[in-house]
Amino acid sequence: MKVTILNGDMKQGKSDFSGYLEELTEGFRKNHSVNIYNLNKMNLHQCIGCWSCWWKTPGRCAINDDAEEIFRSVINSDFVIFASPLIAGFTSSALKKITDRLIVLLHPYIELINGESHHRKRYDKYPDFGLVLEKESDTDNEDLAIISDIYDRFALNLHSKKKYMKFIEHDKVEEIIYETCNI
Amino acid sequence: MKLVIFNGSPRNKKSNSKILIEHFLTGYNRICSEPVPIHYLANSKQKESPKEIFGNSEIVIIIFPLYTDCMPGIVMEFFESIIELKFTHAKKIGFIVQSGFPEAIHSIYIERYLKKLTKRLNCEYLGTIIKGGVEGIQIMPPSMTKKLFGRFQDLGEYFARNDAFSTEIQEILRKPFKLSLMRIILFNVIKKTGLTNLYWDSNLKKNNAFKNRFDKPFEDEVIKH
Repeated sequence: MKVTILNGDMKQGKSDFSGYLEELTEGFRKNHSVNIYNLNKMNLHQCIGCWSCWWKTPGRCAINDDAEEIFRSVINSDFVIFASPLIAGFTSSALKKITDRLIVLLHPYIELINGESHHRKRYDKYPDFGLVLEKESDTDNEDLAIISDIYDRFALNLHSKKKYMKFIEHDKVEEIIYETCNI
Repeated sequence: MKLVIFNGSPRNKKSNSKILIEHFLTGYNRICSEPVPIHYLANSKQKESPKEIFGNSEIVIIIFPLYTDCMPGIVMEFFESIIELKFTHAKKIGFIVQSGFPEAIHSIYIERYLKKLTKRLNCEYLGTIIKGGVEGIQIMPPSMTKKLFGRFQDLGEYFARNDAFSTEIQEILRKPFKLSLMRIILFNVIKKTGLTNLYWDSNLKKNNAFKNRFDKPFEDEVIKH
């Protein structure tokens, strides 16, 4: 299977979190194709809401940076892992900025899903995804429920499903690989 | 107490958030003539950092558009910076979340986060105004925006009097929470005519991109490692 990992760790240099993701990547590589993107080392800008991707160059972003490689990898993957240490009770801004830009993969037209407005698909198939997170010292169950619910909503808009939420503190790399491959 | 506003729209001064805030301040200034500073998070040329401005303010309103079901990345970056601040006395924070989707349901998930963030900052939570259906207000005729802008003016006036959002206006602005059955039926009927896509199609045609509207530029390409 093809897996894309988006690493939203913002620490410079080595960190426990990025070390864990390296281990996860190596584990996947034994039997699968995996692309890992260390977002803080890439030339990535934020979505500026220009909507060029919807009405000027359909499906393509107007910003000329490294994001196109990520778009291509995400849409051709079987599974995507959104990975980030939690900060201020949510995933990092580095991860959020690239997530915002994934609207390039959707179509501007609106359709109703469960009686709610959502953007229709641009592509036939969208990858399911999982979250790999690192807790803060004050992370509690309320924080985790909020994050989980927001990503479930994101999944709904991405015509996808959030399959799991894992934590580097107590989930083993092998278990994440096993679960990802058996979804 | 002094009010400071942060506009977290990546569209900066061309944003719908800016327009809503202008109307909010029109109402606010009916009661309080003191100028209210507005700081644009997308404007990197500011002398003082948003973090410093936030740290020195007493009442704060943060407005932003809903981006992929929560705050835009630039707003998250701002939250990351202010979480480091430790306050010895509570300041008041209110939020305004606007979206292109017409229903408020899309924004209630981020509302929970904003409430928790405020608690984390040891600040007083003034609530979150949620308003859907905001995209397009810049091109709508005045007859279509009169009610909306009037409500934001009333919201600002109430805020100037009470240092708080009016719960009554807050409830009105949240409507519709979900689409009514009638609206769903209407949408499905109009959809068959193609008119539900009129806004998008007219812009696609204007940009000579209509024939490419279903392009899938990244599909089935070989990924090289």
